[in-house]
Amino acid sequence: MRWLNVLWARLRALAGRESVIGDIDEELRLHVEMETEENLARGMSPEEARRAARMSFGNFDSIRDTAYTVRGGGLMETFLQDVRYGARMLARNKAFTVVAVLTLALGIGANTAIFSVVNDLLLRPLPYSEADRVVMLWEVSPEGRHMNTTSRANFREWRAQGQSFESMAAFSDQRLNLTGAGDPEEVAVQLATPELFKVLGVQPLLGRVLVEDDIKMGSAGVVLSHAFWKRRFGGDPGLVGKSITLNGNPFNVVGIMPPSFQWHIKQRSGTGKPAEVWMVLFMPQPGGAQVANERGRFLSVVGGLKPGVTFEQAEAELKTIHKRLEADSTFNKNYTAEVIPLREQFVGNIRPALWVLLGAVGLVLLIACANVANLLLSRVAAREKEIALRTALGARRVRVIRQLLTESLLLSLLGTGLGLLIAWWGIGALVAISPRDLVSLQNVGINTTVLAWTLGVTLLTSLLFGIVPALEATRLNLNDALKEGGKGADAHGSRSRRLRGALVVGEVALALMLLVGAGLLVKSFAQLRKIDTGFETENVLTMVLRLPASKYKDDPQYVAFFRQALERIRAIPGVRSAGVVNFLPLYGGLGSATGFDVEGQPPAPPGMGPSTNVRVADSGYFKTMNIPLKQGRLFTDVEDSEDRRVVLVSESYAKRFFPGESPLGKRIKVFMAEDPAWTEIVGIVGDVRYDNLMAEAEPFVYYPHPGLTYEFMTIVVRTAGDPAEMAPAVRREIAAIDPDQPVSDVRTMTQVMADTVARQRFNTLLLGIFAGLATLLAAVGIFGVMNYSVQLRTRELGLRMALGAQPGRVLMLVLRQGLSLTLVGIGVGLAGSLALSRVMSGLLYGVGATDPLTFAAIVVVLGVVALIACYIPARRATRVDPLVALKYE
Amino acid sequence: MRDRAGGLTHVTQQKADLLQGTLDMLILKALSLGALHGYGIIQRIRQTSGEMLNVEQGSLYPALYRIEQRGWVSSKWETNETGRRAKFYSLTRSGRKQLEEEEASWDRLVLAIAKVRQAT
Repeated sequence: MRWLNVLWARLRALAGRESVIGDIDEELRLHVEMETEENLARGMSPEEARRAARMSFGNFDSIRDTAYTVRGGGLMETFLQDVRYGARMLARNKAFTVVAVLTLALGIGANTAIFSVVNDLLLRPLPYSEADRVVMLWEVSPEGRHMNTTSRANFREWRAQGQSFESMAAFSDQRLNLTGAGDPEEVAVQLATPELFKVLGVQPLLGRVLVEDDIKMGSAGVVLSHAFWKRRFGGDPGLVGKSITLNGNPFNVVGIMPPSFQWHIKQRSGTGKPAEVWMVLFMPQPGGAQVANERGRFLSVVGGLKPGVTFEQAEAELKTIHKRLEADSTFNKNYTAEVIPLREQFVGNIRPALWVLLGAVGLVLLIACANVANLLLSRVAAREKEIALRTALGARRVRVIRQLLTESLLLSLLGTGLGLLIAWWGIGALVAISPRDLVSLQNVGINTTVLAWTLGVTLLTSLLFGIVPALEATRLNLNDALKEGGKGADAHGSRSRRLRGALVVGEVALALMLLVGAGLLVKSFAQLRKIDTGFETENVLTMVLRLPASKYKDDPQYVAFFRQALERIRAIPGVRSAGVVNFLPLYGGLGSATGFDVEGQPPAPPGMGPSTNVRVADSGYFKTMNIPLKQGRLFTDVEDSEDRRVVLVSESYAKRFFPGESPLGKRIKVFMAEDPAWTEIVGIVGDVRYDNLMAEAEPFVYYPHPGLTYEFMTIVVRTAGDPAEMAPAVRREIAAIDPDQPVSDVRTMTQVMADTVARQRFNTLLLGIFAGLATLLAAVGIFGVMNYSVQLRTRELGLRMALGAQPGRVLMLVLRQGLSLTLVGIGVGLAGSLALSRVMSGLLYGVGATDPLTFAAIVVVLGVVALIACYIPARRATRVDPLVALKYE
Repeated sequence: MRDRAGGLTHVTQQKADLLQGTLDMLILKALSLGALHGYGIIQRIRQTSGEMLNVEQGSLYPALYRIEQRGWVSSKWETNETGRRAKFYSLTRSGRKQLEEEEASWDRLVLAIAKVRQAT
């Protein structure tokens, strides 16, 4: 019948009909009252009677706690008891609690912050309906260049033949000048076939999306982004149906997109920024009256897969179609096609870095757990009697372990609370320092997914750092522990010591792995900054000017505008030189490249000949950027103003296409125009990295502006002082020529460089912070363990000193213990780092993932930190007063 | 000297090592004469031991709860004749049986020790 009684008691407690806690409190209170009354009856004064009763009762809290533990209750009731009891224990050991909570908060905070980024970029569904079936379609060039844009002709065939796709749309980014309402401004426009909105499954907020007819001249329609509508038109709902002026032409606003809609494919974007306006891309009917450039490769293509079709099937089909196109036209010779899932397109290049960062904060959290576990282990000895007493009174081991784990959980929860604050602050900091091209990072925040994950981490960590100490604490030999003054610690001291040692080894190993990762990134970053870009970055101001076609009718007018602008800018006091180029090095977008013929050599079939990058610049550009002239001459003043059919080439161009001979005086024909002219090479200039810092230098041909006229140019200005301060003066000169002319992308070359390496800087900075944090935590861990060890050995050390051991020897004794643990940790960490080197190699430039110098430097750094962490307790050990130590007994 | 595990204070200067489980038996015995509250149990043990044994509160209640969980005693909140509210404990049938067993084994132990002592 006994089990029935127990069951009944538990059921009653569970049902909440009886509060075990209140019950015990009441009983004990009445007990004291009875004793007080009895004392009164014996003739004591009321105050005296109460005091005596209290005294006789002993420690009320501790009796109550013990009684709770024994009596138990319902599951919830027990848990609440444990929580209250745990809270009291934590409140009693404030120093311990503060250190443990801070440690956990750092670990959990860092984890939450990084996870929220990972969640936002890698895990959260993209804001398009059925985004998992949306793919990008690209060409792969004969040189193996991926994510190449395609042509109208090829897109037409893909769309007509592709069976895997439900719908397909092509688009291309451009910049147009907005005039009329307010200041003139350059806006990012996306020309798209109207299917775009269907493929992405988005609905407009106001009005409608684009239709084919929106291209008709006179009634051409545009759709605006929500941000642009708010910023430029104050969110006026009456804007739909009204007209706006782009490049001098009227466009009818037919719709406004919702705020969540963002559609920006960074790769091959001609503007490098998200579109603010959408208009219809012209796709002429085959055989129709209107024609367009069918072969120019400038289109990005997005498609929606039919249900049940996999990425692989779609890619296989696209490759087959492209194979047929290759056979049809020499223009497609050696080109292939590829299909890239949308998520991959957005984050494919930052995914490895994100996983590394998430792994890094995971390691930091592990170290934090090891530290807290160490603290708990140190307290095992102090709590032995308490735990033994409870066990003696009938609390089963499982019960005690549960109690101890509840305490761990409380610690974790406190750490999580503080950690969420740290994460909240950390996310703000992350967004602030994140590279500009991580567009969607603006939406990162602590949402329910992140909270759920953090809670999971909390539970896991409390188990992780709580279970070993809890098992250890309840492993005691009762008799040893209960003996008054018995050194229970000795009974299981060696086990405990081994455990603590293992934790230190683990911490050091994890910290070393993080430090190595950070060290490699730092070195890689330094290498990146050392790359010779081919130009001088300091004291250069840049800005883009795009002249509207409505105002400037022919090429000489464009050229004349920029000549006039440069003349005025050069006259500004403080300006050393100024020039123009169409695409600035490292500006973040595409340049132009095409094939060419060399005079005297048989022309290659179309698409088969050599190709080169093409830039348009004046001689002022080379002087301003300090790009050296290697041979020949720069353009003359006349050549900068009138077309004299001359070009400059880069050193790589000369070496690659004219090996062993001078290209000076040779004539080439570059297919930048429909009917290109022969041009003479008059000079060779130094190589410049235009697209990618890390790639080899590529061949370039430079046209003077009159030779290949662009309607937009980037003005570069070398200044005597701070270039940023010069911007207003330069703007004034532009406005003096045409007050309606907008200026955009005003940046110093230093900023351009910083933006180029922003992602590497971001990775390096973060991993550096985490590695620093890990090292700090590991140092605290080593210090804690050594300090505690010295405390335990006080007697032994005192005895040694009393017997004549020199302080130096005692110092060495303690140091040796700590450093041997550190060395083992370093060994394990080195092995771990080598195992992980493959993960890192993708993020590195100019440094091997197993760079011996970095490894050596990190080992030294960690060794010194560990030495300091051991030295402080070791010094204390030498100050042990033998008398005090021996009296301690 | 105190032996906290046994939870008893021997009032005299003589040392009385009480075996584990003894407290349980003393509580059951005290209750065998009728229902008592916690304070009453302490009082009764002190009286019946001739003021020799003093049970500490810190040991009594955990022991009481443990015994109750095993079903040897049952408890009830009651108000007695002087109007005082208290939780009263009384022996259950299985408690009575347990007491008999423990007393029997205690007697055997005492007998055994006595024999050993007489032998020397």
